[in-house]
Amino acid sequence: MKVKAKEKDGIVKVKVLAKHQNIGPEEGEKKKKEANFITSVVAKVGDAIVFDMNGSGFMSKDPLYKFKFKGKKGDKIEVTWIDLKGETKSKEAKIK
Amino acid sequence: MDRRKFLGLGLATLALTPMAATALDFRKEKPDAWKAEKPADAIKALYGDIKPEEKGVTIKAPELAENGGKIPVFVKSDIEAKSVALFQDANPRAAVAAWTVPEGGIVDYGITMKMKGSGSITAIVEGKDGKFYSKVLKIEVSKGGCGG
Repeated sequence: MKVKAKEKDGIVKVKVLAKHQNIGPEEGEKKKKEANFITSVVAKVGDAIVFDMNGSGFMSKDPLYKFKFKGKKGDKIEVTWIDLKGETKSKEAKIK
Repeated sequence: MDRRKFLGLGLATLALTPMAATALDFRKEKPDAWKAEKPADAIKALYGDIKPEEKGVTIKAPELAENGGKIPVFVKSDIEAKSVALFQDANPRAAVAAWTVPEGGIVDYGITMKMKGSGSITAIVEGKDGKFYSKVLKIEVSKGGCGG
């Protein structure tokens, strides 16, 4: 997973590139692979949640998430995703 | 671990749980919304019988997506929102994503999604005022992206 966060005028722009197959049930049947996709993505700065999303099998492979929030330079943002099977990955990045 | 300590830990966890649950987990709490085939049914399952106003919401997506496997879609709104949800009508099920907007959050979300063919994307914004706002955008997909 790649996380980039950049602050300008008090607004932090974040780009998250997750590495995941994101296979929906129908797609899985066709490709003879097990359906598995990212179901939840949460970003936090300290204890505060700044981004909270639920996803489906219709996100692309290696999905890109973009969002904005009010924040400042130097803080650390932590992004975590969970998939259907319960696997989870986190990544921390400094806001530039 | 002795019993007293163990119980104490249990209580501490209980006390912490409501904090963690401030954000709504749409997948757990509204499972039917993710099973519905049509956007209208999915919206009903997620928000109930609502009549959204068609204003205040923008969807940015390519008019002609060459690759249905990775379509960049943005949802934007200046409305103070509680949640945002995105649907489409080309795939086997309608729901694509749902966001819980944090306090003071900015509604400007981008994702990359898959679409089996041409169709409409619907975005619903649940305002803090209790009203709902929507936008529908038709896009053409030249090569389907759902396992095609």
